[in-house]
Amino acid sequence: MAEDVYKPGNLLVSLKRHAAAIATGLRYLLSTKRMTVRYPEFVIDLGEGYRGMIRWHRDRCISCSLCAQICPAAAMKMYKLPGEKKMYPGINYQRCIFCGFCVDVCPVFALEHTPVHDISYEELDEMIYVPTKFDTEWVSPAAKEGARPVKVVFDEEVGLRHEPQ
Amino acid sequence: MAPQPLDRVVEFILSPHIFAPLIYPGLLAAMLVLLTLIWAERKMTAKVQLRYGPLYVLKPLGGIIQLIADAIKFMFQEPILPRKADKWVFVLAPITMMAFTIIPFAFIPAAPGFVGVDLEYSLPLVLSLSALVPPLILATSWAANNKFTLLGGVREAFMMVAYETSLFIAAFAIATYYGTLSLSKIVEAQTVPGIVLNPIAAAIFFVAMLMTASKLPYDIVEGEQEIVAGPFTEYSGILYMLVMGASYMELYVLSLVFVELFLGGWKPVIPALASIHPAFQGIALFIKAYLVLLFAVFLRSVYARYRLDQALEIGWKKLFPLSLISVVWSLILLVITGGA
Repeated sequence: MAEDVYKPGNLLVSLKRHAAAIATGLRYLLSTKRMTVRYPEFVIDLGEGYRGMIRWHRDRCISCSLCAQICPAAAMKMYKLPGEKKMYPGINYQRCIFCGFCVDVCPVFALEHTPVHDISYEELDEMIYVPTKFDTEWVSPAAKEGARPVKVVFDEEVGLRHEPQ
Repeated sequence: MAPQPLDRVVEFILSPHIFAPLIYPGLLAAMLVLLTLIWAERKMTAKVQLRYGPLYVLKPLGGIIQLIADAIKFMFQEPILPRKADKWVFVLAPITMMAFTIIPFAFIPAAPGFVGVDLEYSLPLVLSLSALVPPLILATSWAANNKFTLLGGVREAFMMVAYETSLFIAAFAIATYYGTLSLSKIVEAQTVPGIVLNPIAAAIFFVAMLMTASKLPYDIVEGEQEIVAGPFTEYSGILYMLVMGASYMELYVLSLVFVELFLGGWKPVIPALASIHPAFQGIALFIKAYLVLLFAVFLRSVYARYRLDQALEIGWKKLFPLSLISVVWSLILLVITGGA
Protein backbone atom coordinates (compact mmCIF):
# COMPACT_ATOMS: atom_id res chain seq x y z
CA MET A 1 0.00 0.00 0.00
CA ALA A 2 2.98 2.28 0.55
CA GLU A 3 3.30 3.11 -3.13
CA ASP A 4 -0.31 4.33 -3.24
CA VAL A 5 0.51 7.26 -0.96
CA TYR A 6 0.87 10.47 -2.94
CA LYS A 7 4.38 11.83 -3.13
CA PRO A 8 5.05 14.98 -5.11
CA GLY A 9 7.31 14.00 -7.95
CA ASN A 10 9.21 15.89 -10.55
CA LEU A 11 7.61 17.29 -13.70
CA LEU A 12 7.86 14.06 -15.70
CA VAL A 13 6.31 12.00 -12.90
CA SER A 14 3.37 14.40 -12.56
CA LEU A 15 2.95 14.45 -16.35
CA LYS A 16 2.56 10.68 -16.25
CA ARG A 17 0.00 10.99 -13.46
CA HIS A 18 -2.01 13.60 -15.35
CA ALA A 19 -2.04 11.36 -18.42
CA ALA A 20 -3.25 8.44 -16.28
CA ALA A 21 -6.04 10.59 -14.80
CA ILE A 22 -7.19 11.79 -18.21
CA ALA A 23 -7.05 8.23 -19.55
CA THR A 24 -9.29 7.06 -16.70
CA GLY A 25 -11.73 9.86 -17.50
CA LEU A 26 -11.78 8.91 -21.17
CA ARG A 27 -12.36 5.26 -20.28
CA TYR A 28 -15.44 6.25 -18.29
CA LEU A 29 -16.54 8.58 -21.08
CA LEU A 30 -16.52 5.73 -23.58
CA SER A 31 -18.11 3.13 -21.32
CA THR A 32 -21.86 2.60 -21.36
CA LYS A 33 -22.35 2.16 -17.63
CA ARG A 34 -25.03 4.24 -15.99
CA MET A 35 -26.57 4.28 -12.54
CA THR A 36 -29.37 6.80 -12.99
CA VAL A 37 -32.98 5.80 -12.48
CA ARG A 38 -34.90 7.65 -15.18
CA TYR A 39 -37.47 8.79 -12.69
CA PRO A 40 -40.73 9.65 -14.41
CA GLU A 41 -40.56 6.42 -16.42
CA PHE A 42 -39.11 4.22 -13.69
CA VAL A 43 -39.52 4.51 -9.97
CA ILE A 44 -37.60 2.73 -7.22
CA ASP A 45 -39.74 0.34 -5.23
CA LEU A 46 -39.10 1.57 -1.70
CA GLY A 47 -40.79 -1.27 0.11
CA GLU A 48 -41.80 -1.53 3.75
CA GLY A 49 -40.47 0.82 6.39
CA TYR A 50 -39.86 3.85 4.17
CA ARG A 51 -40.78 7.04 5.97
CA GLY A 52 -42.77 8.83 3.29
CA MET A 53 -45.99 10.81 3.43
CA ILE A 54 -48.14 10.00 6.48
CA ARG A 55 -51.56 8.46 6.11
CA TRP A 56 -54.17 9.00 8.82
CA HIS A 57 -57.13 6.66 9.36
CA ARG A 58 -60.01 8.58 10.82
CA ASP A 59 -61.98 5.47 11.75
CA ARG A 60 -59.14 4.26 14.01
CA CYS A 61 -58.29 7.60 15.66
CA ILE A 62 -59.24 8.00 19.32
CA SER A 63 -58.31 11.72 19.49
CA CYS A 64 -55.68 11.20 22.19
CA SER A 65 -53.56 14.03 20.69
CA LEU A 66 -50.29 12.18 21.46
CA CYS A 67 -49.13 12.76 17.89
CA ALA A 68 -49.56 16.52 18.22
CA GLN A 69 -47.76 16.50 21.56
CA ILE A 70 -44.76 14.46 20.44
CA CYS A 71 -44.21 16.21 17.09
CA PRO A 72 -40.76 17.87 17.38
CA ALA A 73 -41.40 20.19 14.45
CA ALA A 74 -44.89 21.26 15.55
CA ALA A 75 -46.23 20.03 12.25
CA MET A 76 -49.02 17.97 13.74
CA LYS A 77 -51.89 19.95 15.24
CA MET A 78 -55.33 19.05 16.59
CA TYR A 79 -58.25 20.55 14.68
CA LYS A 80 -61.83 20.97 15.74
CA LEU A 81 -64.15 19.93 12.98
CA PRO A 82 -67.56 21.63 12.68
CA GLY A 83 -70.30 19.54 14.27
CA GLU A 84 -67.88 17.22 16.08
CA LYS A 85 -67.01 17.10 19.78
CA LYS A 86 -63.66 15.36 19.34
CA MET A 87 -60.57 16.96 17.88
CA TYR A 88 -58.60 15.30 15.13
CA PRO A 89 -54.97 15.67 13.94
CA GLY A 90 -53.98 17.59 10.86
CA ILE A 91 -50.47 17.93 9.43
CA ASN A 92 -48.50 20.77 7.95
CA TYR A 93 -45.91 19.47 5.46
CA GLN A 94 -44.10 22.80 5.49
CA ARG A 95 -42.90 21.75 8.92
CA CYS A 96 -42.89 17.95 8.90
CA ILE A 97 -39.41 16.40 9.08
CA PHE A 98 -40.63 12.83 8.50
CA CYS A 99 -39.15 11.63 11.79
CA GLY A 100 -42.05 9.25 12.33
CA PHE A 101 -42.53 9.96 16.02
CA CYS A 102 -46.27 10.42 15.52
CA VAL A 103 -46.51 7.06 13.78
CA ASP A 104 -44.58 5.37 16.58
CA VAL A 105 -46.50 7.00 19.38
CA CYS A 106 -49.99 6.35 18.03
CA PRO A 107 -51.54 3.73 20.34
CA VAL A 108 -54.14 2.54 17.81
CA PHE A 109 -52.08 2.60 14.58
CA ALA A 110 -54.22 5.36 13.14
CA LEU A 111 -51.12 6.94 11.56
CA GLU A 112 -48.82 5.10 9.18
CA HIS A 113 -46.05 5.88 6.76
CA THR A 114 -46.52 5.29 3.05
CA PRO A 115 -43.70 4.91 0.50
CA VAL A 116 -45.10 7.89 -1.44
CA HIS A 117 -42.64 10.79 -1.38
CA ASP A 118 -42.84 12.50 -4.77
CA ILE A 119 -45.65 14.96 -4.18
CA SER A 120 -45.16 18.55 -5.25
CA TYR A 121 -47.14 21.65 -4.37
CA GLU A 122 -47.68 24.89 -6.18
CA GLU A 123 -48.77 26.86 -3.16
CA LEU A 124 -47.72 26.75 0.47
CA ASP A 125 -51.31 26.51 1.66
CA GLU A 126 -51.72 23.22 -0.16
CA MET A 127 -49.18 21.70 2.20
CA ILE A 128 -51.47 22.05 5.20
CA TYR A 129 -53.64 18.98 5.61
CA VAL A 130 -56.70 19.48 7.79
CA PRO A 131 -58.28 16.24 9.10
CA THR A 132 -60.82 16.00 6.29
CA LYS A 133 -58.03 16.20 3.70
CA PHE A 134 -55.64 14.10 5.79
CA ASP A 135 -57.89 11.04 5.68
CA THR A 136 -57.21 10.15 2.03
CA GLU A 137 -55.02 7.60 0.31
CA TRP A 138 -51.69 8.91 -1.04
CA VAL A 139 -51.07 8.40 -4.73
CA SER A 140 -47.64 8.84 -6.27
CA PRO A 141 -47.98 10.99 -9.42
CA ALA A 142 -45.29 8.99 -11.23
CA ALA A 143 -46.95 5.67 -10.40
CA LYS A 144 -50.29 7.11 -11.47
CA GLU A 145 -48.86 7.92 -14.89
CA GLY A 146 -47.54 4.40 -15.33
CA ALA A 147 -43.99 4.48 -14.00
CA ARG A 148 -42.52 1.00 -13.82
CA PRO A 149 -41.17 -0.01 -10.40
CA VAL A 150 -37.54 -1.12 -10.33
CA LYS A 151 -35.48 -2.82 -7.65
CA VAL A 152 -32.00 -1.67 -6.65
CA VAL A 153 -29.36 -4.38 -6.97
CA PHE A 154 -25.72 -4.01 -5.99
CA ASP A 155 -23.42 -4.93 -8.81
CA GLU A 156 -19.66 -5.49 -8.75
CA GLU A 157 -19.23 -4.03 -12.24
CA VAL A 158 -21.50 -1.01 -12.37
CA GLY A 159 -22.09 -0.24 -8.72
CA LEU A 160 -25.87 -0.07 -8.71
CA ARG A 161 -28.20 -1.77 -11.13
CA HIS A 162 -31.95 -1.27 -11.41
CA GLU A 163 -33.93 -4.34 -12.34
CA PRO A 164 -37.55 -4.08 -13.43
CA GLN A 165 -39.90 -6.07 -11.26
CA MET B 1 -34.88 40.99 -62.54
CA ALA B 2 -33.18 40.76 -59.17
CA PRO B 3 -33.52 43.84 -57.01
CA GLN B 4 -30.22 45.69 -56.94
CA PRO B 5 -30.27 46.88 -53.27
CA LEU B 6 -30.81 43.34 -52.00
CA ASP B 7 -27.74 42.12 -53.87
CA ARG B 8 -25.75 44.89 -52.29
CA VAL B 9 -26.95 43.92 -48.81
CA VAL B 10 -26.04 40.27 -49.42
CA GLU B 11 -22.67 41.28 -50.80
CA PHE B 12 -22.14 43.55 -47.79
CA ILE B 13 -22.95 40.78 -45.34
CA LEU B 14 -20.77 38.25 -47.14
CA SER B 15 -17.76 40.56 -47.25
CA PRO B 16 -15.06 39.56 -44.74
CA HIS B 17 -15.44 42.78 -42.73
CA ILE B 18 -18.96 41.83 -41.73
CA PHE B 19 -18.97 38.06 -42.21
CA ALA B 20 -15.95 37.38 -39.99
CA PRO B 21 -17.07 39.19 -36.82
CA LEU B 22 -20.77 38.51 -37.28
CA ILE B 23 -21.14 35.01 -38.70
CA TYR B 24 -17.95 32.95 -38.75
CA PRO B 25 -15.81 32.80 -36.64
CA GLY B 26 -17.74 35.57 -34.92
CA LEU B 27 -21.03 35.90 -33.19
CA LEU B 28 -23.19 33.27 -34.87
CA ALA B 29 -20.59 30.50 -34.75
CA ALA B 30 -19.76 31.52 -31.19
CA MET B 31 -23.41 31.23 -30.19
CA LEU B 32 -23.55 27.80 -31.79
CA VAL B 33 -20.41 26.81 -29.90
CA LEU B 34 -21.82 28.22 -26.67
CA LEU B 35 -25.11 26.37 -26.99
CA THR B 36 -23.64 23.01 -27.92
CA LEU B 37 -20.48 23.20 -25.82
CA ILE B 38 -22.21 23.72 -22.48
CA TRP B 39 -24.56 20.86 -23.35
CA ALA B 40 -21.60 18.69 -24.33
CA GLU B 41 -19.81 19.61 -21.12
CA ARG B 42 -22.77 18.59 -19.00
CA LYS B 43 -23.29 15.45 -21.04
CA MET B 44 -19.65 14.34 -20.84
CA THR B 45 -19.41 15.03 -17.11
CA ALA B 46 -22.62 13.07 -16.65
CA LYS B 47 -21.23 10.15 -18.65
CA VAL B 48 -18.06 9.98 -16.57
CA GLN B 49 -20.14 10.12 -13.39
CA LEU B 50 -22.45 7.31 -14.63
CA ARG B 51 -25.39 9.67 -15.13
CA TYR B 52 -27.41 10.79 -18.15
CA GLY B 53 -27.09 14.57 -18.05
CA PRO B 54 -29.65 16.80 -19.77
CA LEU B 55 -32.11 14.47 -21.46
CA TYR B 56 -35.71 15.56 -21.53
CA VAL B 57 -35.52 18.68 -23.72
CA LEU B 58 -35.78 17.15 -27.20
CA LYS B 59 -35.28 13.59 -26.01
CA PRO B 60 -34.47 11.87 -29.35
CA LEU B 61 -31.30 13.98 -29.61
CA GLY B 62 -30.34 13.60 -25.94
CA GLY B 63 -31.53 17.02 -24.81
CA ILE B 64 -29.36 19.05 -27.18
CA ILE B 65 -31.56 22.14 -26.99
CA GLN B 66 -31.38 22.24 -23.19
CA LEU B 67 -29.33 25.41 -23.41
CA ILE B 68 -31.95 27.13 -25.55
CA ALA B 69 -34.50 26.33 -22.86
CA ASP B 70 -32.10 27.69 -20.23
CA ALA B 71 -31.48 30.82 -22.30
CA ILE B 72 -35.21 31.47 -22.62
CA LYS B 73 -35.53 31.03 -18.87
CA PHE B 74 -32.73 33.55 -18.24
CA MET B 75 -34.23 35.99 -20.74
CA PHE B 76 -37.53 36.17 -18.93
CA GLN B 77 -36.11 36.06 -15.44
CA GLU B 78 -36.09 39.30 -13.51
CA PRO B 79 -32.56 40.75 -13.39
CA ILE B 80 -32.30 41.77 -9.76
CA LEU B 81 -30.24 44.85 -8.92
CA PRO B 82 -28.99 44.67 -5.33
CA ARG B 83 -29.93 47.79 -3.39
CA LYS B 84 -26.37 48.45 -2.21
CA ALA B 85 -24.74 47.76 -5.57
CA ASP B 86 -23.05 50.33 -7.74
CA LYS B 87 -25.76 50.04 -10.35
CA TRP B 88 -24.05 51.50 -13.39
CA VAL B 89 -20.93 49.37 -13.06
CA PHE B 90 -23.01 46.36 -12.07
CA VAL B 91 -25.02 46.51 -15.30
CA LEU B 92 -22.36 47.79 -17.69
CA ALA B 93 -19.49 45.50 -16.66
CA PRO B 94 -21.04 42.23 -17.99
CA ILE B 95 -22.04 43.94 -21.22
CA THR B 96 -18.53 45.35 -21.71
CA MET B 97 -17.09 41.96 -20.77
CA MET B 98 -19.11 40.28 -23.51
CA ALA B 99 -18.07 43.01 -25.96
CA PHE B 100 -14.38 42.46 -25.24
CA THR B 101 -14.78 38.76 -25.92
CA ILE B 102 -16.53 39.44 -29.23
CA ILE B 103 -14.21 42.16 -30.61
CA PRO B 104 -11.27 39.70 -31.16
CA PHE B 105 -13.32 37.87 -33.83
CA ALA B 106 -12.71 40.81 -36.14
CA PHE B 107 -8.97 40.14 -35.99
CA ILE B 108 -8.82 36.35 -35.93
CA PRO B 109 -8.34 35.02 -39.45
CA ALA B 110 -10.90 32.32 -40.17
CA ALA B 111 -9.72 31.02 -43.54
CA PRO B 112 -6.83 31.71 -45.93
CA GLY B 113 -7.00 35.44 -46.63
CA PHE B 114 -10.32 35.76 -44.86
CA VAL B 115 -10.22 38.10 -41.91
CA GLY B 116 -12.28 41.06 -40.77
CA VAL B 117 -9.37 43.40 -40.21
CA ASP B 118 -5.95 42.12 -41.23
CA LEU B 119 -3.30 43.49 -38.93
CA GLU B 120 0.43 42.87 -38.56
CA TYR B 121 -0.03 42.59 -34.81
CA SER B 122 -3.23 40.59 -34.53
CA LEU B 123 -1.80 38.08 -32.02
CA PRO B 124 -0.94 40.60 -29.26
CA LEU B 125 -4.13 42.51 -30.02
CA VAL B 126 -6.37 39.47 -29.59
CA LEU B 127 -4.56 38.39 -26.44
CA SER B 128 -4.66 41.85 -24.89
CA LEU B 129 -8.35 42.26 -25.73
CA SER B 130 -9.08 39.03 -23.89
CA ALA B 131 -6.84 40.25 -21.07
CA LEU B 132 -9.24 43.19 -20.60
CA VAL B 133 -11.87 40.84 -19.19
CA PRO B 134 -10.29 40.12 -15.74
CA PRO B 135 -10.29 43.81 -14.69
CA LEU B 136 -13.98 43.90 -15.57
CA ILE B 137 -14.54 40.83 -13.39
CA LEU B 138 -12.87 42.81 -10.61
CA ALA B 139 -15.24 45.69 -11.37
CA THR B 140 -18.30 43.42 -11.08
CA SER B 141 -17.04 41.98 -7.82
CA TRP B 142 -16.58 45.44 -6.32
CA ALA B 143 -19.80 46.84 -7.71
CA ALA B 144 -22.00 44.05 -6.37
CA ASN B 145 -20.97 44.97 -2.81
CA ASN B 146 -21.23 41.48 -1.39
CA LYS B 147 -18.72 39.47 0.61
CA PHE B 148 -18.72 36.52 -1.78
CA THR B 149 -18.17 38.72 -4.82
CA LEU B 150 -15.38 40.49 -3.01
CA LEU B 151 -13.66 37.20 -2.14
CA GLY B 152 -14.04 36.11 -5.75
CA GLY B 153 -12.62 39.42 -6.92
CA VAL B 154 -9.54 39.03 -4.74
CA ARG B 155 -9.01 35.54 -6.12
CA GLU B 156 -9.37 36.87 -9.67
CA ALA B 157 -6.81 39.59 -8.94
CA PHE B 158 -4.34 36.99 -7.73
CA MET B 159 -5.05 34.63 -10.60
CA MET B 160 -4.90 37.09 -13.45
CA VAL B 161 -1.32 38.15 -12.85
CA ALA B 162 -0.35 34.50 -12.41
CA TYR B 163 -1.60 33.28 -15.76
CA GLU B 164 -1.57 36.28 -18.10
CA THR B 165 2.22 36.56 -18.10
CA SER B 166 2.69 32.88 -18.96
CA LEU B 167 -0.05 33.02 -21.61
CA PHE B 168 1.57 35.99 -23.36
CA ILE B 169 5.12 34.61 -23.13
CA ALA B 170 4.04 31.18 -24.44
CA ALA B 171 2.26 32.79 -27.39
CA PHE B 172 5.24 35.01 -28.14
CA ALA B 173 7.62 32.05 -27.84
CA ILE B 174 6.03 30.36 -30.84
CA ALA B 175 5.63 33.70 -32.64
CA THR B 176 9.37 34.24 -32.17
CA TYR B 177 10.03 31.08 -34.13
CA TYR B 178 7.78 32.16 -37.00
CA GLY B 179 9.16 35.69 -36.89
CA THR B 180 5.78 37.37 -37.14
CA LEU B 181 2.98 38.53 -34.83
CA SER B 182 0.27 38.27 -37.47
CA LEU B 183 -1.98 35.26 -36.90
CA SER B 184 -2.61 34.74 -40.61
CA LYS B 185 1.11 34.78 -41.38
CA ILE B 186 1.80 32.38 -38.52
CA VAL B 187 -0.69 29.90 -39.98
CA GLU B 188 0.73 30.35 -43.47
CA ALA B 189 4.27 29.76 -42.16
CA GLN B 190 3.25 26.58 -40.33
CA THR B 191 4.29 23.48 -42.25
CA VAL B 192 4.92 21.42 -39.12
CA PRO B 193 2.32 22.08 -36.40
CA GLY B 194 3.62 24.35 -33.66
CA ILE B 195 2.77 21.79 -30.98
CA VAL B 196 5.49 19.52 -32.41
CA LEU B 197 8.02 22.33 -32.63
CA ASN B 198 7.40 23.78 -29.20
CA PRO B 199 5.32 21.41 -27.04
CA ILE B 200 6.22 23.34 -23.86
CA ALA B 201 4.67 26.56 -25.17
CA ALA B 202 1.58 24.64 -26.33
CA ALA B 203 1.09 23.02 -22.93
CA ILE B 204 1.53 26.34 -21.13
CA PHE B 205 -0.86 28.11 -23.49
CA PHE B 206 -3.46 25.39 -22.94
CA VAL B 207 -3.18 25.49 -19.14
CA ALA B 208 -3.23 29.29 -19.09
CA MET B 209 -6.26 29.15 -21.38
CA LEU B 210 -8.09 27.04 -18.79
CA MET B 211 -7.09 29.53 -16.10
CA THR B 212 -8.25 32.48 -18.19
CA ALA B 213 -11.67 31.01 -18.78
CA SER B 214 -11.74 29.76 -15.17
CA LYS B 215 -12.53 26.20 -16.15
CA LEU B 216 -11.86 23.29 -13.85
CA PRO B 217 -9.35 22.57 -12.34
CA TYR B 218 -8.87 26.35 -12.17
CA ASP B 219 -12.39 27.59 -11.49
CA ILE B 220 -11.06 29.05 -8.27
CA VAL B 221 -12.61 32.44 -8.97
CA GLU B 222 -16.13 31.08 -9.21
CA GLY B 223 -15.58 28.24 -6.72
CA GLU B 224 -19.20 27.21 -6.48
CA GLN B 225 -18.89 25.15 -3.29
CA GLU B 226 -16.87 27.81 -1.50
CA ILE B 227 -18.04 31.27 -2.55
CA VAL B 228 -21.41 30.68 -4.32
CA ALA B 229 -20.42 32.02 -7.75
CA GLY B 230 -17.53 34.33 -6.88
CA PRO B 231 -17.77 37.72 -8.57
CA PHE B 232 -21.03 36.71 -10.25
CA THR B 233 -22.97 35.86 -7.09
CA GLU B 234 -25.43 38.72 -7.35
CA TYR B 235 -26.22 38.34 -11.04
CA SER B 236 -29.50 36.96 -12.26
CA GLY B 237 -31.47 36.81 -15.45
CA ILE B 238 -29.94 38.08 -18.66
CA LEU B 239 -26.94 39.65 -16.90
CA TYR B 240 -25.98 36.26 -15.47
CA MET B 241 -26.26 34.78 -18.95
CA LEU B 242 -23.77 37.42 -20.15
CA VAL B 243 -21.17 36.80 -17.44
CA MET B 244 -21.49 33.04 -17.81
CA GLY B 245 -21.34 33.26 -21.60
CA ALA B 246 -18.32 35.58 -21.50
CA SER B 247 -16.04 32.93 -19.96
CA TYR B 248 -17.05 30.39 -22.61
CA MET B 249 -16.59 32.99 -25.35
CA GLU B 250 -13.13 33.72 -24.01
CA LEU B 251 -12.36 30.02 -24.08
CA TYR B 252 -13.57 29.87 -27.69
CA VAL B 253 -11.44 32.86 -28.73
CA LEU B 254 -8.36 31.44 -27.06
CA SER B 255 -8.92 27.97 -28.50
CA LEU B 256 -9.09 29.55 -31.98
CA VAL B 257 -5.77 31.27 -31.23
CA PHE B 258 -4.39 27.99 -29.83
CA VAL B 259 -5.31 26.13 -33.01
CA GLU B 260 -3.80 28.86 -35.18
CA LEU B 261 -0.58 28.94 -33.17
CA PHE B 262 -0.02 25.27 -32.47
CA LEU B 263 -2.30 23.02 -34.52
CA GLY B 264 -1.86 24.37 -38.02
CA GLY B 265 -4.95 26.61 -38.17
CA TRP B 266 -7.16 26.00 -41.21
CA LYS B 267 -4.78 23.50 -42.78
CA PRO B 268 -5.50 21.21 -44.56
CA VAL B 269 -7.49 23.48 -46.89
CA ILE B 270 -10.15 21.97 -49.13
CA PRO B 271 -10.13 24.26 -52.19
CA ALA B 272 -13.49 22.97 -53.47
CA LEU B 273 -15.23 24.69 -50.57
CA ALA B 274 -13.95 28.11 -51.65
CA SER B 275 -16.47 28.18 -54.49
CA ILE B 276 -19.35 28.31 -51.99
CA HIS B 277 -17.82 31.00 -49.83
CA PRO B 278 -14.18 31.67 -48.91
CA ALA B 279 -15.01 31.32 -45.22
CA PHE B 280 -15.86 27.64 -45.74
CA GLN B 281 -12.17 26.89 -46.15
CA GLY B 282 -11.84 27.52 -42.45
CA ILE B 283 -13.90 24.46 -41.57
CA ALA B 284 -10.79 22.60 -40.40
CA LEU B 285 -10.01 25.47 -38.03
CA PHE B 286 -13.50 25.31 -36.58
CA ILE B 287 -13.41 21.54 -36.11
CA LYS B 288 -9.98 21.64 -34.48
CA ALA B 289 -11.02 24.51 -32.20
CA TYR B 290 -14.17 22.64 -31.23
CA LEU B 291 -12.17 19.52 -30.38
CA VAL B 292 -9.81 21.62 -28.24
CA LEU B 293 -12.86 23.10 -26.50
CA LEU B 294 -14.36 19.67 -25.92
CA PHE B 295 -11.10 18.49 -24.37
CA ALA B 296 -10.91 21.62 -22.22
CA VAL B 297 -14.38 21.14 -20.80
CA PHE B 298 -13.89 17.38 -20.48
CA LEU B 299 -11.19 18.06 -17.88
CA ARG B 300 -14.00 19.15 -15.54
CA SER B 301 -14.85 15.51 -14.96
CA VAL B 302 -11.23 14.47 -14.38
CA TYR B 303 -9.84 17.05 -11.99
CA ALA B 304 -10.79 18.51 -8.66
CA ARG B 305 -10.39 22.22 -8.09
CA TYR B 306 -6.96 23.46 -7.06
CA ARG B 307 -6.66 25.71 -4.05
CA LEU B 308 -5.76 29.33 -4.75
CA ASP B 309 -2.23 28.93 -3.37
CA GLN B 310 -1.68 25.76 -5.42
CA ALA B 311 -2.83 27.51 -8.59
CA LEU B 312 -0.58 30.49 -7.86
CA GLU B 313 2.31 28.10 -7.27
CA ILE B 314 1.60 26.44 -10.61
CA GLY B 315 1.34 29.85 -12.26
CA TRP B 316 4.47 31.44 -10.85
CA LYS B 317 6.79 28.54 -9.98
CA LYS B 318 6.05 26.20 -12.88
CA LEU B 319 4.34 27.93 -15.82
CA PHE B 320 6.37 31.13 -15.70
CA PRO B 321 9.86 29.53 -15.71
CA LEU B 322 8.67 26.97 -18.26
CA SER B 323 7.40 29.73 -20.52
CA LEU B 324 10.84 31.37 -20.38
CA ILE B 325 12.36 27.97 -21.25
CA SER B 326 9.96 27.72 -24.20
CA VAL B 327 11.25 31.09 -25.49
CA VAL B 328 14.81 29.79 -25.25
CA TRP B 329 13.72 26.57 -26.97
CA SER B 330 12.19 28.61 -29.81
CA LEU B 331 15.42 30.58 -30.19
CA ILE B 332 17.48 27.37 -30.28
CA LEU B 333 15.12 25.96 -32.94
CA LEU B 334 15.42 29.20 -34.84
CA VAL B 335 19.19 28.96 -34.85
CA ILE B 336 19.22 25.26 -35.81
CA THR B 337 16.59 25.29 -38.56
CA GLY B 338 17.05 28.86 -39.71
CA GLY B 339 13.39 29.79 -39.20
CA ALA B 340 10.14 28.74 -40.82
